[in-house]
This record gives sequence, structure tokens and C-alpha cells, in this order.
Amino acid sequence: MKTSTIITITAGVLVLSACSGFLDVKPTNSGDAKTAVRTAGDAQVVINGLMRSMTSVNYYGRNFILYGDARGGDLTIASQGRGQDALYTFNHTASSNSYSGFWSHLYDGILQINNLLENIASVESEDSNEDFGAIKGQALTARALIYFDLVRLYGKAYTDDPSAYGVPNITTTLPYNAQPLRASVAENYEQIVRDLEAAAPLLPTTHTNGYLNYYANKALQARVFLHMGDYPGALDAAEEVINEGGYQLYANTDWNSSWTRQFGSESIFELGVFPDEADLGSGSLGFYLRRRAHGASTAAGWFMASDYFLNRLSEDEGDVRWGVMAQDESEDPHLGSCYKYSGSVDLVGDGKRDNNTAVNIKVIRLSEMYLIAAEAALPTDPSKAAGYLNEIRKRAPNLPPATAASITLDMIVDERSKELFAEGHRFFDMMRLNRSIEFNDEFAGITPSSRPKIIDRSFYRTILPIPTGEIYANPAIGQQQNPEY
Amino acid sequence: MWLGALPTAWAQESTVTGKVTDAASGTALSGVTVSVSGSDTRVATDNNGNYQITAASGASLSFHAVGYAEQQVIVRGTVIDVALAATNQALDEVLVVAYGTTTRGSFTGAATSVSAADIQDAASVSFETALTGKMPGVQITNSSGQAGAAPSIRIRGIGSMNASNEPLYVIDGVPATAGGSGQLGDYIYTSNNVLNTLNPADIESVTVLKDAAAASLYGSRAANGVVLITTKRGKIGKPTINLRSAVGFTPAWATDNYEAAGVQEQVDMLYQVFHDYRTSNGWTEADANADALNRLNGKFNQHGYYFETGGTGLYETVHIKGMTDGLVNREGSYYDWEDLLFRTGMYQTHDLSVSGGTENTKYYSSLSYTQDQNRVVINGFDRVSGRVNLSQKVWDKVELTTNVSVARNKQHGYNDTRNLGLNYYLQTRNLLWPLYWPDDYKTGEPFTGRYGSYAYNADYYENEWDNSANSLRLGINETLSVQLLPSLNLKTVFSYENNEVKEFLYYSANHFNGTTDNGLVHEMSTAYTKLVSSTTATFAKNFGLHGINLLAGFEAEKNETDFQRSSGSNLPASSLPSVSTAGKLDASGYSWGYNMLSVLSRAEYSYDQRYNLSASYRRDGSSRFGPNDRWGDFWSVGAAWNIRQEAFMENTSWLNSLRLRASYGVNGTQPISNYGWRSLVGYSSRYMESGGASLTTLGNEDLTWETSYATNIGLEFSLMNSRLYGTVEYFNRDSKNLLQSVPISLVTGFGSILRNVGEVNNRGFEVMLGYHILQSDDWQWSASINGSFTRSEVTRLYAAEGESEAQPIVWYDPTGGDSRAQFIYQEGESMLSFYGFEWAGVNREDGRNVWYVNNQDDDQAGDFLYNGRGATYDYSNANPTILGSAIPTVFGGLNTDISYKGLVLGLNFMYKIGGSLYDGAFKDVGDDGYYWERIRAQYYYDHRWTDTNPNGSLPKLLGTDPTDAMQHSSRQMYDASFLRLKNINLAYAIPAGLTQRIGLANARIYFNGTNLLTFSRYKIADPEVNQYGTRGWETPFAKTYTFGIEFNF
Repeated sequence: MKTSTIITITAGVLVLSACSGFLDVKPTNSGDAKTAVRTAGDAQVVINGLMRSMTSVNYYGRNFILYGDARGGDLTIASQGRGQDALYTFNHTASSNSYSGFWSHLYDGILQINNLLENIASVESEDSNEDFGAIKGQALTARALIYFDLVRLYGKAYTDDPSAYGVPNITTTLPYNAQPLRASVAENYEQIVRDLEAAAPLLPTTHTNGYLNYYANKALQARVFLHMGDYPGALDAAEEVINEGGYQLYANTDWNSSWTRQFGSESIFELGVFPDEADLGSGSLGFYLRRRAHGASTAAGWFMASDYFLNRLSEDEGDVRWGVMAQDESEDPHLGSCYKYSGSVDLVGDGKRDNNTAVNIKVIRLSEMYLIAAEAALPTDPSKAAGYLNEIRKRAPNLPPATAASITLDMIVDERSKELFAEGHRFFDMMRLNRSIEFNDEFAGITPSSRPKIIDRSFYRTILPIPTGEIYANPAIGQQQNPEY
Repeated sequence: MWLGALPTAWAQESTVTGKVTDAASGTALSGVTVSVSGSDTRVATDNNGNYQITAASGASLSFHAVGYAEQQVIVRGTVIDVALAATNQALDEVLVVAYGTTTRGSFTGAATSVSAADIQDAASVSFETALTGKMPGVQITNSSGQAGAAPSIRIRGIGSMNASNEPLYVIDGVPATAGGSGQLGDYIYTSNNVLNTLNPADIESVTVLKDAAAASLYGSRAANGVVLITTKRGKIGKPTINLRSAVGFTPAWATDNYEAAGVQEQVDMLYQVFHDYRTSNGWTEADANADALNRLNGKFNQHGYYFETGGTGLYETVHIKGMTDGLVNREGSYYDWEDLLFRTGMYQTHDLSVSGGTENTKYYSSLSYTQDQNRVVINGFDRVSGRVNLSQKVWDKVELTTNVSVARNKQHGYNDTRNLGLNYYLQTRNLLWPLYWPDDYKTGEPFTGRYGSYAYNADYYENEWDNSANSLRLGINETLSVQLLPSLNLKTVFSYENNEVKEFLYYSANHFNGTTDNGLVHEMSTAYTKLVSSTTATFAKNFGLHGINLLAGFEAEKNETDFQRSSGSNLPASSLPSVSTAGKLDASGYSWGYNMLSVLSRAEYSYDQRYNLSASYRRDGSSRFGPNDRWGDFWSVGAAWNIRQEAFMENTSWLNSLRLRASYGVNGTQPISNYGWRSLVGYSSRYMESGGASLTTLGNEDLTWETSYATNIGLEFSLMNSRLYGTVEYFNRDSKNLLQSVPISLVTGFGSILRNVGEVNNRGFEVMLGYHILQSDDWQWSASINGSFTRSEVTRLYAAEGESEAQPIVWYDPTGGDSRAQFIYQEGESMLSFYGFEWAGVNREDGRNVWYVNNQDDDQAGDFLYNGRGATYDYSNANPTILGSAIPTVFGGLNTDISYKGLVLGLNFMYKIGGSLYDGAFKDVGDDGYYWERIRAQYYYDHRWTDTNPNGSLPKLLGTDPTDAMQHSSRQMYDASFLRLKNINLAYAIPAGLTQRIGLANARIYFNGTNLLTFSRYKIADPEVNQYGTRGWETPFAKTYTFGIEFNF
């Protein structure tokens, strides 16, 4: 009896004393957050994760782009209820169709960046020999891009009221019980510019396909300055990209085929969308813009070009950009379906085998830089402006080139619509320029109760509400809700 | 009276005589069956309780009477007197408890048990379902009628928010894995419960431990109660072969479930939507009429119908005409989708077991096959299971017990979700117009396109997708028991459990979920292993009137799950849906787990069988917590007083037993999340074919145990010769440091964090009363009723650091992933408080929805006054508020058994009174205008407001979509009370004379009916709802008629 008792007790003691290891269990697919970044290689993996998160359905993968064009009146819908039509009808409240995915997803990106920067700072403080410069440059540029998009979604245009509420300006990781409040639009833009300027010298000038480089940073600066109404700043940045970046405008004969290729000569920042990773399949942007049931019964024909856009493009029936447009579901001739994100109107994709939805998202193209340069030069040097505009305008070969005498802001804005259609710009252009937007409600024969047919930036729904989920967890920000929500 | 015994083959036979009495009253018992175990010899006692039987010395005599515990006595000598104890209140009844057994008379805790006989006939693949309504304080709910769906068990309310509220399951002394298994849930909503691998026919008894004294020895997992399952063991005697077969049919659902309106009503309603839409945009009636007909034609011409109206008004009857340009003219004929997608389900089960034993060896072995075909055509479940339970005395003092079980479950055709394309039940109620046909009326070819946005030709798609889950579960449980001293026993248990789930999901290139990938197939394997080692020493000894029982031991547990997935797309042919044929491959694999270490001890003291005291202590360490809070202490104390045994009660002959118990203790709940305390970086965000990382979990290193403080007071009694018996229990459970995933500011980059957030109180009464109404030679009639009155309330919410006051927590019913109901945790309110907009009803003037504004500061604030309160037509102007609670006032069961000679009729009712149910599905079929393509329920058609039905309780059908149907509001709430005849069982034991002639020990035939009757005020669908009190698009429950036969050789 005694022997067995002793054995038992000994076994018990042994088991219990071994407990510290026995009770420390980790999964095999995740690492400890505190020690995940030790080298530049580790940091690059985090940058990969960040780029991937930009391809999310809640961001450049789909909704952010649709937001710019559906809200901007360049897109319309054929029927309500197919999905995402609230983007077009503005049928959103803080609690339903709130598009809170923008808020949560973009702040998740901010967290990843802040965490990465803090991890790098901690490794660097330990006298590491690792060179994190290019990583930091990408992280800061990405942070600027995300804040720029956030403040445009949730805050008034900088040119409208820079002292209005922007979004919480967070540059460190937050404790779980943090309840941050909104900064002003101006403070957000200050942060954006600060990050961009700090990042630029750290970045490589080589073309890093799928990632942010020095010229992507500069191109973003051009965009930001244009939105701030800082034309000299915008012109400087855009010209640097045009003149020194090593990018090339597509010739008219190449423009259409450029959509069947990845990382073309105009791509300054292009997000890689690959099968089995970022490919959204039947939820992809390409799917949302193609003709109903084209290639798959699940293609519901969500969005098509509005008559306003088509009329604009019809100024020249020979405009090369008709090449990515095709008949939509309507019976009369109506080339409303857009195939920029399907490769071509025959769904060839952009070079990934057997797949026409894994198509890269071209976030910044060189043609936009020409249009920014044109717009930024217009008040001071119309001749220069005309020169930049014509480089793009010639894609409609039958239109007369602009001259210093004939060029107008309208021409540039129209050209932006034609060239950057379905790339997420139109709405934000209308906001910053304080123009009105008219919606092609006749196409579906609807009269949305949630917005009038014509709106401008005085309409409260042009900025999104802070989602109720945020307000539940952070009541003080509820006091800073956007007006009328 | 003496019934002649048949000659037996046993040697050294002698005549044994004796008297059988009632243990409590001492009165003689007549009609008691006395039989020699393992032989055919049986007699019955006469009116004076006397019997005479021929038996060999050393044989085992068995005494059996209805209402009494069976007793076995080894024949030694020729006179054997026996006192039988009435069951239910039988103080000597052996009760399986934590780490051992005890007798009911000395137990200080609260426990309920049922035996094999109570659960064996129910037509159910899961044993839990058969417990419904039989155990006070135990609420068993089903969310789905899908084949293989497993119920959820709540013992004494809801003590946890985020952590599990399921009890701990212990099978043959070893904590078992329970709950959902497999990973298919990441793709479609499934229910694949490990416990379904357990064959109900193998179960000897199920004991539910409810209070701290009973359960605290299981420490950190005991707060929600413990379900102890004991499997069958062999009995001394010659081999018994048991053969049981049952076949059941499910020709109908148990209740109506959102029955769709007729085709005429549907067409008229859609016409009205289009018409109203146009007139409210300023069109004339004539134009609106033309447009509405045009839209109807546009939608249905291709299916062979066109439409006409007599006039141009809103309420025209639309004439449905057949197109004449096709192969057929469909006028007057419509397609019956229900006929295609539902069938008469079939249930069958076949069990074979052999058991027996000697003094040294006891064995039980079984083989079983069960098949459950659901009424939904693609859904089915089957199981093959086998078990060997063997115990062998190695030496005089050493016993080795080996339990080996193997089970293979196969489930296929999951479709239990609000997913519009895949759920056939939803399709028939909400999407498939009778005007749609599986074939094209012009060509006769299958119709392959979609009918509307979401309706699909299920006839065609049926072959284009598939899913299944095969589980193989192996359990090996070795117990070595050494009687070191007469009073000291050492027991060591080692158990290994392996459950491997292989899952398969396939969509062909023709299927709407597979087109973009040109066919898609996933094959997954999830292997769960669990190792448990526990060693306990028990010292039990009586010193005169004093008895002590001491237990000490330790336990270690290791849980590991390995997951692998391979996926293929670009499939060459639909005939070979397999990853190996795919053009493109993708794979993933990883593992996770958790470990536990524990020491445990218990002390019991009894005096003169009158006083019992007990105390327990357990210390648990778990890998689910950070190093700061890894260990927790759990304990209990309990006492019982057997009042009837006191001298002063000696003359109260009407009272047969009276016992008072009380206990207090502390036990815990573990978080569901294995790694909630750690911040983790995940590597699933690949980018351009390189690895990508992101912070996926925000850890909380200060996470600590949920702790429950439970008090229990119980009174057990029986009187009138034990004909009337009952139990009353009061309990109070305060649960503190509750874990909850709390929404946090999204600006942090995360939506929520696991935190200890608050406190909950559950308290109430449980009452069980039984009465043997008739006890004559031929007639036996007994009935019992039980009820549980439980209040579950959030008592406190902790303010987070830096907050001045705690935030209420809004959460959603997780069932089905469709956020069908919104709840709130708020101090002083029910644990299941529905939260949303308060619907005031329909304005009688114009049929529009009216919402109460519920402005906290001013009840009159709003766009107008309605019933004296501020109201609005626009829900977005209203404030959400608490709308009611899903927790019933009382729930329980009503059970009665009537037997006449060999015929036994058992009725098992379940009931629930009070509380609300939230219908998360009716919004789809009772929609007032948002959905243009869907069909609606007859209930909506009948109850909607129209010009001619101004008292309609549901809003007017509009084309302008003023109300988003997805809002959480009291419009979808109903009284949850119901009474259901859960089971009716009619069994006939074939007379012994007849069976013996054909060599059978006994034989029985039976009929079992499930869900045959339901009474409820909620008529739209089935009132038996899930544990959150909500209903969605899960497969409804069916009526099952089962016929069975059982033989014993």
C-alpha cells in the first residue's frame, strides 16, 4: 500500500511542478504580438498584410471605389434591392446601411501601421542593425492614404470647412478602453501631410510593383494638396512624378489593353489582387460593374454608368475609353457596363490564369497626375494646364485640343470623369469643388426617399454618420455625430 | 397466491421462501415479480407479500415492482426477506456523483437522474432530446429540426454571458468533449455535435448535478452544472441478448411554419406593390396598372404566364393566364415546390447488445445503427456505433475496467441558415413562386438561370452541390481500482478520446456559388484528441454511528485539435467532385488546444444516517488564462438532515420520508477562447503570393475566472405509503467576473475585447411532485409534474478603467449568424432582454407602422402622439429600448404512465409559460414592401391592413418601402407560452407464457409519437424555440411516428 501511495503522490507532485510549461499553449498559426517583428523581413510581412487589407471589400477591393462613383452620379442602378444600392440612394443611417465597414476596416489598418511602427521603434531602441527605413516610409505613406480616405468619408471637404469634425487622429496603439474623440479636418490634413513628408525620403524611387514607393508618395501628395486647394503644392508634386518618375502614359492604341495587364506603365500604385487570396470572386468590383448575368448567373448587374456619364463620353464616339464599356441589361443601346476590373469586355482578366475577378486595383495612375497638374496650373498658367490636359484629352481623338484660351475647369473635371470613371474619384471631386451632383434615377424609374435628385455638399448625407457600434462603445463621440444623424 | 415455476437447468436447486415489504412502511407488497437472474424462473408475491421460488444457491434473485427500486439478492440459505424502497425517493438508490457514487439518502447536493427506461424509446439521435421535460431545473432547447441537430442544455438559468452556458459532460467519470465540432461552420451553418456519437441505447443513467455541493468538485467547469452519463455494464448472470428495432416516419411538420399564401394572393400582392409604387410617385391609376402588369409579365412570361386585370385599381384581382406559345399551356396549373423539396422522412434504429457476467467478469457489448432522414430532401444523418464495457477482477482486490467505444456519424445536406440560395425550407416559404417551374415551358429543358435575385431551381441545383461531415470517434477509458485496505480504495483513470471529423463541401461550376471558381471543392479534416488522467484515493469507514468518506486526487487534461484543409477550384468535370481533380489547389493546416491541471478533495461525514455533512475543494490551472490569473480555487460545503429518522417522527406513519438539504459553494466557468489573454499576430493575409501578417487578437492579460457562488436548499418528502412524493428546491446563484466580448471603440482597430464585465444572478424554485394514482394488480397509474421558476438577471456591470459608469452591452443571438435578435445586458434587467424599437402597431387610419419614440427625457416627444405617447412613422427617429425578456416564468414537464397488465401508455408533455419569443424569420415573409421578388405568408395576407380590413394587425403593403424589414423591433415578438406533447409512448409486453414458448425471455412492442400535439397562441411557426428564445430559418421540427420491437433472449 505504502509504495503505491508514494508513487501516486510523487507522480502528482511531478505533474504539478511541470505545470508552467504544460499550461502555456500556443496555436501553430499565430505568433505572439510582442515579438512578431524582429527583423526587416518580419516587418515586410506586416506590410504585405497591410497591402492585402487594402484590397478588402470595405476598401479599394470594392466599396470605397463604388462610393466615389455611385455617390458621384457617374453610376446608376437598374433596380433597388440587388445590394449596395444604398450607396446610390444614400439610404443610410447610423444604425442601418451605415457603411461602418469603412470605419472599422480603415482603423484596423491604422492599428496595424501604428503597431508596426512601435515594434520597429522598440527593436531600433535595442541597437538593431536592421534597416527599417523603406518599411517605415511605406507605413507612414499608407497611414496618410488611409487618413485621407477616412477624413473624406466622415468629414466635410477641406475646402468647405477645415475646422469641422474630421476623424480621431491616432498615431499610437490604443489601450482597449480608449475612447478617442474626433480631430478637426484641418488636424487630419496636417497629420497626413506630416506623414507623407516624413515618409518620402525613406522610400525607394524604383518601381515596386504592388507596394508604395517614393513616387506613389508624391502622387498622393499631389492628390492631398489638390483636395486642400493648395495648387502650387499639387502642381509641384504632380510634375515631379510626371517628369522624374519613369512612368509613361498609354498610347491610344494601348489604353484598352492596359486593363488586361498588371503593373502597366501608368501604374504608380497598384494593389495586387491574386486568386485564393484577395480575389473577391462574385463580390469583386469587376463582378459588380459587369452586365447582369454576364458569365455567371450570380452577376446581378448591380451598377452601370449613368446617362450623364455616357453623354459626357459621347462627346466623341471615337473616344478610346469606350473600349471598356459594353451593353448593360437595358433593351435600348446603352453601354453602361464597365469592364475595367474584368480585364476586357470579354472577361479576359488581367493575366491570372482562368480568373476574371482576381484583377488588380489601380489606385493611382499617371493620367491622374496630368489631370491634377492641369487643374493645379489652371489659375496661374492656362497654357501649361492645357498642355497637361491635352495629353489625356487626346484619348478622345475627335475633340479639339484645349488651348490656353479655351481651357476651363469644366473641361478638366469632365476629363477626370471620363478617364477615372469607376476609380472612385467623382464624388470627392464634386465635394471639394462644391459642385452639385445629379442622379440618373430615371434609369430605374425610382424616386428615392432618402435623397433628392440633385444634391450638393450642403446635403447632410454627403458625409457618413459615425456608426452606432462606435457610439455604443464610445458614447462621447456620439456628441460629435455628424449633423442631422 | 403462488404461480408455478418452470423447471430450470440449474444444479443444487432448493426452494427459497420469503416476504417482500415496503422499506418505508413495512407493509407487505403483493404482485412483486421475483425472478432468478439469467433464467426463465419467475413468480409473484401473494397478498401477504409472500413468495416461494426454486433457485440454486449462489444464484441471484431479482425483486421487481412498479414504483420500487429493483433489488438483487444472492441466494444463501432458504429464507430471504426483502424490503423494497420506493423509487424517486428511495433513499438507498445509488446515485452517480462526481468521482464516484453515493446513496440518495446521504447526498447533500441537488441532483436529478433518469434511467435508461426513460429515454430508450424516443425517436432521437441525441439522448438529450429524450430528457426534455423530465428534469426540473434543466431546460433543453433545440434550435433546429435538422437531422443530427443537437439540443442545448441550460441548468438553472444562464450564468454566463460570453463563456459557454452548456454544462460539463462527464462520461463514465471522464470529462468529455461536447458541443460543435468540425470547421464547416466557416462556410455554411452546421450543427455537428460530438455527443451525437453516443448511442442513447448504451446509456444506463444520466444524472444532472445542479448545485455547488454536487458539482463543485468539477471546479472551473461546474458553474453551469454537470451532466454525468453512465454507460451500461453487464450484470451477474447468464448472457442476455437484447435486440431492438424501431422504424419511424415523419410525414408532417409539427406545426404550421410560415405557410405561404396561395398563388392568387401572391400575385395580387405583388401587383399591389408595383401599383402602389407608381401611384405614390404620382402616376395615374391607369399608368400604374399598366406598369404593374408589365412588370408581372416581365417576370413571369418566361415561365408561361401572363396577367390581366378587370379594372385599374389597387385591389384588382389579377387574372393569371397561360401563354400559348410553348409546349404546354400552364394556365391553372402551378408547380408544387414543397412536394419536390420535402419528403416523408424516415427514422430507423437497430440495436443489438449482449451482456452478462460472473463475480469476476462483467461485460456489456453493443452494436447499433441509426438513420435519420429529414423531411428536407437532401438532409440526413446516420450513425454506426459499437461499445465494449468490460470489467475484470484481476486479483481479489484489483479491478480493471475498460470501456471502448467507436462511433461513425455521417451527416449530409446541411442547409440550415438564412442563406437564401441554399435553404430549401426558406426557398419554399419565401422565394419560390408556384409560377416558377423546373423546366422551360417552351423547350422542356431544365431552367438553369435564376428565377429572381435569389430563387433557384432546386431541382436542377440539387445535383450541383453537396456537403457532408463524417465523424469517427474513438474513446478508450481504462480504470484501475485497487482496494488497498478494506476502507481505502485507490482509483486511477486514464482516458483517450479521438474525434476526427472529415468534411466536404462542393459546388459545381454550374452552381451559383461555384461559377466564378469554375467549380469549388473543400475537403477538411479536424482531429480532436483529449487525454485525461486522474487518480483518486477514497477512504471510507464507519465508526459506530459515525461514517466518514474522504477523497483526494489530481487530474491532468490535454486537448489538442489539428486542422487541415485542402481546396480545389477549376474542376474539370462535375462527375468527380474531388480536390485531386482540381486545376487549382489551396491548402491550410494548423493546430490549437488547451490544457488543465487540477487537485481535488472531498470529505463527507454522516451520523446515524440522520446527519450528513460534506465539503469539497478543487484547485484548477488552465492554459486559457495568462500567467497572472492562471489558477483558481473552488469549494463547497453541504449538509443534509434526514428528519424522518429522528425519534420524534417515529409515530408519523403517514410520512414516509422527509429530508432537508442545504449547500453553498463556489465554482467557475472557463472562457470559450483558448487564447483570449494573448495578443496574437495571424498570418492568413497573404499578398501577391507572399506571407502577410496582421494583429488579429487584442489580448487581455488580466482576464480572470468567472466565479459562481451558489446556494441551494432542498426538501424531499414522500407520504401516503410513498404514493405521493416530491422535491422542492430553492437556489440562488451569483456569478461574478463574467466574461464577455465587449464592443470597444473601433478606432482602436478592434471591434471587441474579452473582458470580465459584470455579475449575474439566477435564482428560483424547482418543484417536482409525483403521485401513484392507481396501484392495483392489473392497473398502475402514476403521474408527475415538474416546474422551474427561474429569474436570470444582470445585477452589475463593471465600469471599465477610466469610465465613470458601466456601458450596457448590446449583443445578438449568434444562432445562424444572421443577428436575428438584438439583446442588451443592462443592470437590473433580464439576461435575455430583447432590445430594439418599440412597435406601436398599425395606424388604423392609413395602415402605416407606428413606432414609439421612447425619448428618455420626454415620453411625449415625437412626431405625433399615439396612445398618449410620443410616436413616429420613421423608426430611425425612435430610440431603442428594452422590449421584453425571453426567460419564461415557469417551464417544465408533465409526465404520466398508465399500465394495464403488459400494456403501458406514457405521455410526456413539455410546457413553457411566460416570456417572449422573437421571430427572426417572419420579417422575410411578412414584409410590407421592401422585397419585390419574394412571396409572403398567408398569415401576412390575412392580417395586413387594407382599406377593407382597417383592423389588420400588420402594416399595409406598400411599394415605397418605408420600413426596413431588418430592424430589430417588438413587431417580431410574440408570447412564447406553449404546451407540447413531446412524446407519447404505447408499449405492450408480450405475456411471458407466449415469449417463453418461442425461447424469448421477454419481448415488447411499442409505438412512440414525437411532437404530435402543440398548443400555443403563437400560430405562425413552431413555438419551441432555441435557448435565446428566437426563431429563424432553421429546419422546423417534425412529427415522428415510430414503431419498435424489442426482444430479450
